[in-house]
Amino acid sequence: MAMNKKAWQSVIALAGVSAFALTACTGPSGGTGGSSAAASGPIAYGTTDKVTALDPAGSYDNGSFMVMNQIYSFLLNSKPGSADPVPDLAESASFTSPTEYTVKLKPGLKWANGHTLDSKDVKFSFDRQTKINDPAGPASLLANVESVSAPDATTVVFKLKLANDQTFAQILSSPAAPIVDDEVFPADKLLDDDSIVKAKAFYGQYTIDTYKKNELISFKAFPDYQGVLGKPANDAATIKYYADPTNMKLDIQQGNIDVANRSLSATDIDDLKKDSKVKVNVGPGGEIRYITFNFDTMPFGAKAADADPAKATAVRQAIANLVDRQAIADQVYKGTYLPLYSNVPSGFLGANESFKDAYGDAGKPSLDKAKKVLTDAGVTTPVSLNLQYNPDHYGKSSGDEYAMIKDQLEKSGLFKVNLQSTEWVTYSKASRADEYPLFQFGWFPDFSDADNYLTPFFPDGGFLKNHYNNPTVTDLINKQLTTVDKTERESTIKDAQNALAKDISTLPLLQGAQVAISGSGVKGVDTTLDASFKFRLGTVSK
Amino acid sequence: MTTLIEAPPSDADGLLPSKKKPSGGGLGTYILVRFFLIIPTIFILVTLVFFLMRVIGDPITAAQGGRLPPEALAQRIHEAGYDRPILVQYLEYVGQVATGNFGTTITDRRPVVEMLVTFGAATLELAINALIVALIVGIPLGLIAAYKRDKVPDALLRFFAILCYATPVFFAGLLMKLTFSIWLGWLPVAGRASTRTELAMGSLSAPTGIYWLDALRSGNVAAFGDVAAHSVLPAVTLGLLTAGVFLRLVRTNVIGTLGKDYVEAGRSRGVSNFRLVTKHAYKPALIPIITVMGLQIALLLGGAVLTETTFEWKGLGYQLVQYLNSRDFVAVQGIVVLLAVIVAITNFIVDVVAALIDPRVRY
Repeated sequence: MAMNKKAWQSVIALAGVSAFALTACTGPSGGTGGSSAAASGPIAYGTTDKVTALDPAGSYDNGSFMVMNQIYSFLLNSKPGSADPVPDLAESASFTSPTEYTVKLKPGLKWANGHTLDSKDVKFSFDRQTKINDPAGPASLLANVESVSAPDATTVVFKLKLANDQTFAQILSSPAAPIVDDEVFPADKLLDDDSIVKAKAFYGQYTIDTYKKNELISFKAFPDYQGVLGKPANDAATIKYYADPTNMKLDIQQGNIDVANRSLSATDIDDLKKDSKVKVNVGPGGEIRYITFNFDTMPFGAKAADADPAKATAVRQAIANLVDRQAIADQVYKGTYLPLYSNVPSGFLGANESFKDAYGDAGKPSLDKAKKVLTDAGVTTPVSLNLQYNPDHYGKSSGDEYAMIKDQLEKSGLFKVNLQSTEWVTYSKASRADEYPLFQFGWFPDFSDADNYLTPFFPDGGFLKNHYNNPTVTDLINKQLTTVDKTERESTIKDAQNALAKDISTLPLLQGAQVAISGSGVKGVDTTLDASFKFRLGTVSK
Repeated sequence: MTTLIEAPPSDADGLLPSKKKPSGGGLGTYILVRFFLIIPTIFILVTLVFFLMRVIGDPITAAQGGRLPPEALAQRIHEAGYDRPILVQYLEYVGQVATGNFGTTITDRRPVVEMLVTFGAATLELAINALIVALIVGIPLGLIAAYKRDKVPDALLRFFAILCYATPVFFAGLLMKLTFSIWLGWLPVAGRASTRTELAMGSLSAPTGIYWLDALRSGNVAAFGDVAAHSVLPAVTLGLLTAGVFLRLVRTNVIGTLGKDYVEAGRSRGVSNFRLVTKHAYKPALIPIITVMGLQIALLLGGAVLTETTFEWKGLGYQLVQYLNSRDFVAVQGIVVLLAVIVAITNFIVDVVAALIDPRVRY
């Protein structure tokens, strides 16, 4: 019993001490980090994105690429405020023949670990991407690269399969193209994050100081960096990772972080707009949302019992005349998405508003036009539509978005919409297996070029597998890809969009904006929210 | 009237056993059986989780399903080996686990064992904090409820207990956050420590991952205070869940003990009711708490999933949600196996302790 008594006394004593410790140490500030940091202190950035891997061959996602943009360089990169690739590690870069792209490197470059950075590293970086070809990696972006050679220490020659590929400069600044240290990275397998950090295999605006994967990363400015981004506006930065955007929102409001970026809800952003302590920065977004029509299984589609191409086209055009994008953008997404009137979003070379010109009434829906197009084609109304959407991949607001589309279509009396949602893994497969006649899809670009909104989608049905195939459109898309003259290319891109607006393989609905919240006294966030879609911590200061 | 009393059987007949044999075997056998039951328990759980995770789809489709043509997607799935017969994948996985190789997570490419160690420390810390809160709140309030039996304080405390274990953890967490972090601004919103503290502790050689210890080792008082401040709300949120159970258990047991003969004897000798409760009746009443504490581990771990997510407490529960969302079955399987091992071993310890305290459980 004596032992028992002692044991219980110990437990209660420990509990008492712990309780005291738990409560006595609390203060009004709640241990905020960064709120009282001086101007020269680190910039604290918060996000809900996650890092898959720091090895460029092993990841292809926003979270990983964001970190890579701080610690690696590219042959070409874009300056803050622009999406146009300019030399970064390179001194010059250009086509030296239709299928040869030659890059001259800056001399005397050194990695943060002291290793030499030269053409060997560049060749190694591209070769290992292709060799590893990781299922989660971006190697597919290098499909047009036949070979890479390094004739001397500062020269790299890319041999291309397709001549005059106008997207190649963008590819060189894409997630497939960060340059890595050939003395650290293995040639045929991925390198884990801790080894990369330990080996200090960095050449970017920053080096990583502390690395707790998907918890906290601290960066220090790298003094020997000579790339296009220049010296960062701060000497250090941290990235804090959140699971719940609401916690991130509260932290930015309380000054615990300086920047909150990806992925606050529309409601949270709307709420933050009313908070005088923070600033909502909005930049162009490359993300698009659209409805895809399956040309085989939609009403009057090629494999429907009452197949009739003219009627099927009329149905698509009637829907295009009835959808009110502005209402969806305002009411569902509170301005975090903007109406999209073409397959190529605004901000890209050749982007127009072909759907605005062809359908509705200057952006507003037009019931008369919708009625007319159906009547002219001899379509009996109401037409029954099975419309699919997905709430777990494209966000909870998709439910509201598609409820609104259903309402807009049914209000006309021309359509009866059966709305259905499915879990993502099933949805993504079924949508391309002819199971859904009309379905929601979204896209985030691989690189900042209009082609990335055309080539993957439309030639031979594209990745959507919706049985759309228009040789004229395919020719236009292929032509713009290899047209060297910028003006001519722009014109071809416009022609492709106009042709697509007639056919309506997909109905563009919304274009996402980049939204980042900055705290009081924080500058430079708006500078980096450009069409390159690269967040550069180096532009931010306070 | 005479009563016939049967004579007891003669010992000479050899019918009387010289010593009564226990029917359930010895303590050693009992412990061995309980110990070996852990293996099938874990095996069944691993199997269940393996097949359930395969039902919800593969991580490659989850990540790339909206970008790649079906053929390219199928190619990647094939390269990753997710299109092989499910039984082949299962046997391969079981073989790996048997050799202690849990593989590498798919979505963030880290060794599962390393991930379990990193985030297990955080969950352990939260569980200990919560248990401390549960003991501090549950035991004294249980004693008060027993002492004030059937009076207003007792009724209020019983209601409070019901409220504690009936309120969903995430709701309690959100309510606490709203009150103490947002309205009053007394405590941090989320996280295990502020960025500054995390960075300071990050420079420690061989950190334990248990922030209380790391903050103490760093010798930084401000860091310790910061860690403590961040611990309060998650610990209270999760701790109250168990505190409600403890409160009712202590109350019931103390009331039961108060009816025992030795307490009556004390009462008849003029010992005050207060002294009887605080000095004599509560000790035996606390014994069941040990057993229940073990059983509460599973409840705590379940609650930790929601608590950690609510408070950005980066432990196993938090990670489990992340990995489930991205269909990372390698990671989910690893976490579930560890949780199963913890629960199974805890229950084994509870069984052994219960057997040592009360030999009747072996029969």
